[in-house]
Amino acid sequence: MKLLEVKNLIKHFPVKNHKGQVVHAVDDVSFHINEGETLGLVGESGCGKSTCARTIIRIYDPTGGEIIFDGQNLATLSQRELKPIRKNMQMIFQDPYTSLNGRMTVRDIIAEPLIAHKIGNSQKERHEMVAQMLKQVGLNTEHGTRYAHEFSGGQRQRIGIARALILKPKLVICDEPISALDVSIQAQIINLLTEFQQKEKLTYLFIAHDLSVVEYISDHVGVMYLGKLVELSESKELYKNPLHPYTQGLLASIPALDIHAGKITDKAEMSGDLPSPISLPSGCRFCGRCPYAKKICAEAEPPMKEAAPGHMVACYLYS
Amino acid sequence: MSKEIIVSPADWEPLDIENDLREKIWSTQRTFAEDVWFRFSHKKSAFAGLLIILLLMLFAFVGPYLTPYSFDTQTLDFSNIPPLMEVTNVDDNLFYITANLKVIHVGNNGKLLAALPKLKEDTAQKIIYYDFNGRELPLSYQKKPAAILNHEGKRLRRDNKVWNTSYWLGTDGLGRDLLTRLMYGTKISLIVALIATFVNMTIGMIYGGISAFAGGSVDTVMMRIVDIISTVPLTLYVILIMVIMTDGFLSIIIALSSVYWVTMARVVRGQIYSLKENEFVYAAKTIGSSQSTILFRHLLPNAMGPILVTATMMIPSAIFMEAFLGFIGIGIAAPMASLGTMCNDSIQALRSNPYQLFFPSLMICIIMFAFNYVGDGLRDALDPKLKK
Amino acid sequence: MSKALLQIENLKTSFYTQNGEVQAVRGINLELRAGEALGIVGESGSGKSVMSMSVLRLLPDNAKIKEGKISFNGKVISVLSKKEIRVIRGKDIAMVFQDPMSSLNPLISVGEQVAEMIRIHYPKTGKTEMRSRVLELFHLVKIPEPEKRYKNLPHEFSGGMRQRVMIALALACKPDILIADEPTTALDVTIQAQILKLLANLQKELGMSILFITHDLGVVMQLCSRAIVMYGGMKMEEGSMEDLFLHSRHPYTMGLIRSIPKIGQDKSVPLQPILGSPPDMLNPPAGCPFAPRCPYARKICASQVPPYTAIKNHHFSACWLVTEDAPATNNPFAQSSTTA
Repeated sequence: MKLLEVKNLIKHFPVKNHKGQVVHAVDDVSFHINEGETLGLVGESGCGKSTCARTIIRIYDPTGGEIIFDGQNLATLSQRELKPIRKNMQMIFQDPYTSLNGRMTVRDIIAEPLIAHKIGNSQKERHEMVAQMLKQVGLNTEHGTRYAHEFSGGQRQRIGIARALILKPKLVICDEPISALDVSIQAQIINLLTEFQQKEKLTYLFIAHDLSVVEYISDHVGVMYLGKLVELSESKELYKNPLHPYTQGLLASIPALDIHAGKITDKAEMSGDLPSPISLPSGCRFCGRCPYAKKICAEAEPPMKEAAPGHMVACYLYS
Repeated sequence: MSKEIIVSPADWEPLDIENDLREKIWSTQRTFAEDVWFRFSHKKSAFAGLLIILLLMLFAFVGPYLTPYSFDTQTLDFSNIPPLMEVTNVDDNLFYITANLKVIHVGNNGKLLAALPKLKEDTAQKIIYYDFNGRELPLSYQKKPAAILNHEGKRLRRDNKVWNTSYWLGTDGLGRDLLTRLMYGTKISLIVALIATFVNMTIGMIYGGISAFAGGSVDTVMMRIVDIISTVPLTLYVILIMVIMTDGFLSIIIALSSVYWVTMARVVRGQIYSLKENEFVYAAKTIGSSQSTILFRHLLPNAMGPILVTATMMIPSAIFMEAFLGFIGIGIAAPMASLGTMCNDSIQALRSNPYQLFFPSLMICIIMFAFNYVGDGLRDALDPKLKK
Repeated sequence: MSKALLQIENLKTSFYTQNGEVQAVRGINLELRAGEALGIVGESGSGKSVMSMSVLRLLPDNAKIKEGKISFNGKVISVLSKKEIRVIRGKDIAMVFQDPMSSLNPLISVGEQVAEMIRIHYPKTGKTEMRSRVLELFHLVKIPEPEKRYKNLPHEFSGGMRQRVMIALALACKPDILIADEPTTALDVTIQAQILKLLANLQKELGMSILFITHDLGVVMQLCSRAIVMYGGMKMEEGSMEDLFLHSRHPYTMGLIRSIPKIGQDKSVPLQPILGSPPDMLNPPAGCPFAPRCPYARKICASQVPPYTAIKNHHFSACWLVTEDAPATNNPFAQSSTTA
């Protein structure tokens, strides 16, 4: 069953001091997530994956498109109407340092969602729930009275997870939850997230730039490039059989943890830089860096097509 | 490794580590305020500034209860007496001669006892005869400075120096105790500055907070208003307001607090604007927290640091402004003292009695320095970049 | 074996903060040979950056090198004055940092900035010669259209291009050693691959030594022949890439490799994370810094710093479990250590 369906989502930001110009942060993105599954979104910085997440949870107001969550279109709701829905949709943020308010104790931070949604009758009852939650993320009750800046990065991120999960949401949007953490801590967080998913039947939208982590945690993976979804497929299939030239290049660029992978000097590299998201190329956005670019690629944007069963790709090579 | 360490079998026992120990936080628990205080108190200049402010408060608020005088007690006989008196010794009795040719009997401990009554004046010889316990005491003012004459008609020199213990800082032109007036003046100046700053801070926080929080066109309009207000020199506004209103304590506060909030509004708006983009604010939004929770629980507490620094820096400028108004004669109404009016009063007799200007201006300097150092220290203590 | 170009002996560097002494580096020995790429791997707070900054004395004011000897080409440079070390900086040993934007002056064109670097060390270079040398460097680091880019300001460059400018700046005086401190961390994977390839090719072409500091094991594997793993201001393990990845003799290195998901890894098996948090360097653990997080820790690990034991040629490990009389129970290294 589809829990979240995003249809033709568009988010443009106006450019300051340049009337009429816009940043095409998210352009016509469509995907869905089934209940209990994880969809990974990968791409380089500036590809719009974080904007996409923030638009879905309505930190930003969408420019166009539909966000259908639990049968309801969130795109047109007001913030007031959204409030009861927010209980079922939570977010885990990237930076464990700026995502926690430094002037509040950890207990107050985790209790904030309970107060906002009037859960728990007394302060004592809420503190009880917070203590339980702290235990579930591997911290103890005494940690509750401390301030966030006293914790290490990994511990802070677990506090962020506790805050997001205390409402028992159905969908959790994880916006690069591990990219700011040390390698030895990343696995702790990944394990914690997968544990919760199994226990609480959570659905994740997992955003990251680290391809190996996304492969590990996701059932489906979408690859974004300059605001566009260029490939969407089951995770195993995508990594085994990447179709889009960008996905292929991205996969080849990962510094593999494999002694037999060979030295970098023997590898082909993807040349060029990302073009500006303000003045986009007219055809396929990857055209300028694509080793297989044809004439048509520069003229019209390729549509998303099913190239193999369940494997969607937006590239003329497969039409 | 050259050093040989002998390992006993017991050392090879597995090390039991509880998860609690792994997650233990080793740093001592400190709230944000404690953290700020720790850094603040380690900065010597800031700590000294705070100490001086506390002493000043004691001086201004407790001091008036300890002096025998009030700010308006006049003793016209004892006008313009300096703290250090040059006195003439006549048979072990000390006499101080004032600028308007009065002779004051001074005790050996420096207490002013009484002004001698005048018996007669010989205008031809330019001698005034004063009565001292039935004895005639001639004062010649033929040559400057005036001097008491002895039996042989010889001028006695003012060769003894005595500290004035009746009026430690001397008296002003109306014979009021300068120390007492300084206490009242400091009190008035501090109260005016503190209230004005508090009002400014409140208005600025509300105005700037709303402007930044609402954003968009509301923000643009509100900030343009601030821009317009700040194009006219603020001093001019204050003077205009003071001219329109009756002079007095309340009008000074109104004048000062109706104008200086624009700086604070700008600071608050800048702070909140940058804080709004922080992930913890987004988090509060996605949680579903109300707008007021976001503003009062998340944004304002985090903006408090720079707000406090700006406020501390505003106090000395408010004191200066109040002193300036007093000095140009549109401040606190007489006979109430403020540091500015005291400076103003002293100007007429500046040449003969410079101490009357010296003490209030010194007080203004000390207050300004102290608050500036405290503000500086606060800024360093609150600066997150210095953390760790 | 080629001789050591850079040698660090028992380096100890601390930061003095209001909260006390932060012991960032606690006794590091290191040898960088001519023409080799040595990787320094460690997490944030492991002291890897502080170590490299100690070499060129680029430390902030509240930091102090407490102990240790650093020699370059046989000459002790740790005793030189700030003025004397400035001559070495850039000319003999150059550095590339993580954030190129903060290392470049935003108001001066990139070409001029590289030229300035040459001028500092070779003040007599003529104008036309200078320009041609800068263009040559831009060509070397593969900046497209160097003539056109010469006059550009740093903000007109993308992150990857800026890092290329930084590398050109570092190579301007043909240094013997390039210290690269997380040069690709702020970049995207595809750009990272470009920069890594450039560095690898440059090292081969110019025959210089690279000290490559990173938190990313995969990056080290692609670029370096040998690496040192640091944790809590100390060396944990040192060896060739093969030694570290296939025959690691330290629980920390093993834990790191295990905790990273690999592509194609079975999803039903949970990852094996390293539990706990990194040590607080204000009060570092008395024994092995990794002991509180180590699944194999013994009592001795918490009280005594383990000796630096040679496993075989150029492969060392600082772990009590690889020492001679370590018992075999719950010891991942037991069997192999007896055969080695």
